[in-house]
Amino acid sequence: MKKNILEIQNLTKYYGKIRGVENLFLKLEEGEIFGFIGPNGAGKSTTIRSIMNLINKTSGKVLIENKEFNKNDIEIKEKIGYLPSEIYLYDDLTVKEMLDYHESFYKKDIHKRRVELVKRLELDEKKKIEDLSLGNLKKLGIILALAHEPKILILDEPTSGLDPIMQNVFYDLLKGEKAKGNTIFYSTHILNEVSKICDRVGIIKDGNLIKVEKVEDLSKKSLTFVTITSEQAKEIIKDFKVNIISEDGNTIKFGNNLPHDELIKKLSKYKIDRILIEEATLEDIFLHYYK
Amino acid sequence: MFKREMKINFKSFVIWTSILIGLFLIVFLVYPSIINSENMEMMDEMMKMFPKEMLKAFNMDISSIDTAFGWLKTEGFVFVLLITGIYSGILGSNILLKEESDKTIEYLNSMPVKRKNIVINKILCGLVYIILMIAIIGIFNFIGLSLSGEFDKKSYILLSITPLFTEVVIFAICLFLSTFTHKTKKTLGISLGIVFASYFLNIISEMGESTEFLKYISIFTLADIRNVIVNVSINPVIIVLTIVITVIFMALTIIHYEKKELI
Repeated sequence: MKKNILEIQNLTKYYGKIRGVENLFLKLEEGEIFGFIGPNGAGKSTTIRSIMNLINKTSGKVLIENKEFNKNDIEIKEKIGYLPSEIYLYDDLTVKEMLDYHESFYKKDIHKRRVELVKRLELDEKKKIEDLSLGNLKKLGIILALAHEPKILILDEPTSGLDPIMQNVFYDLLKGEKAKGNTIFYSTHILNEVSKICDRVGIIKDGNLIKVEKVEDLSKKSLTFVTITSEQAKEIIKDFKVNIISEDGNTIKFGNNLPHDELIKKLSKYKIDRILIEEATLEDIFLHYYK
Repeated sequence: MFKREMKINFKSFVIWTSILIGLFLIVFLVYPSIINSENMEMMDEMMKMFPKEMLKAFNMDISSIDTAFGWLKTEGFVFVLLITGIYSGILGSNILLKEESDKTIEYLNSMPVKRKNIVINKILCGLVYIILMIAIIGIFNFIGLSLSGEFDKKSYILLSITPLFTEVVIFAICLFLSTFTHKTKKTLGISLGIVFASYFLNIISEMGESTEFLKYISIFTLADIRNVIVNVSINPVIIVLTIVITVIFMALTIIHYEKKELI
């Protein structure tokens, strides 16, 4: 069995009476990339800020390698690389000065990895931080999160602002981290990313984690879209008790959770002129959970 | 982190110190011509017209303004006290809070550093700059006075140390208050308010017996200029009081910052 690297136990955070997240349980194993998806305001950032101890939890705790992560635990902090969704750094510094300052926080020598990352992400060290474009600021953020070779990466919407070429460089970097056995908590609302790089996915809605599943299972089994043209369309709707997505005369389209053989068995009772079964994209599945 | 802190705050330190030095430079350049003219007699006449309480508030009852040192003891130190006081207030309310206001705290918090150490580094930097400012202006005035004629050196040295007590306490109180908010805009007004309100309380407290109790709530009481001028010594109670108040507020800052939500 693989080791638990990050464990969230019963995390609840209320802002006064407003719920941020509630009773969130989650375990991340060594070497996995966990996609954390949800729309704005679902509780993604609250969860991440609670992990990072930027805000105080109403209840619950976060364990890193089975040890509770308290805000002053330097040893654990050294194991974490954090990339916030919006990066705010010291505008008066150049990229080089910022990276030098960053190096000063770590006991071990992280210079070599820093140089590697700067080269890989093609960042100009001479530029002032206040002059960096959003994309370049993101690159700097990525370097700051990865330079000390952390065992756990907590990334909040890491690719926003990166051009497609850099996104691919970044995905490669993450694959490299995974290959080293490092664990990645990847918060995003870009579903395409999840199917591309994540092993498992957790869907958060209104502060509750409503589903945790392997990415391949989620896209395999959950949802198909069925379009049928039949004179008996109305009876089919009655029989299946489905939510109709569209209806045009005798043609209906609905979302289907049944396995294919069961679906066909049920439909065989009817006279069907035309049938189309489509695999739902991850985006469709996501929207399905948010209805 | 300390080095970085010193660098960030260097510019404002230079600006504030320059304001003070510029002010005194003008005084040292202009004063000789005032003292040696008939204006002085006129000024003396004018002073007699002021009520005693008023003169007392500016220490003019125990010192005259007919020499540069005399002026320094009266009006001069009001400027030193107020300007270094405003600087300390702004520094105290900004130094820790700026990380939150600029949202760089999200980065700093993720670094392997304890919150307590963040606060301590900021406190040390603040104290260094306050001491440095008082020392620089003290040395500058010392040179200025030496060039303008004879003066009591011991009395001067003690006098130039007195603002330190008030400013360190202002810094500590403003630092503590800054842990209750996330935006520097909010604390700036409060810290300046504390400096001015405290200063006026101090002035009023020296005007008469009925208002004397006010001195116990003014931070400027700690800069006990009257005692230094009259007795040429610093009251040890002031030193102990300064240390106790400062330590209490700094400890409260650390305790409250430990619990604070940084975003």
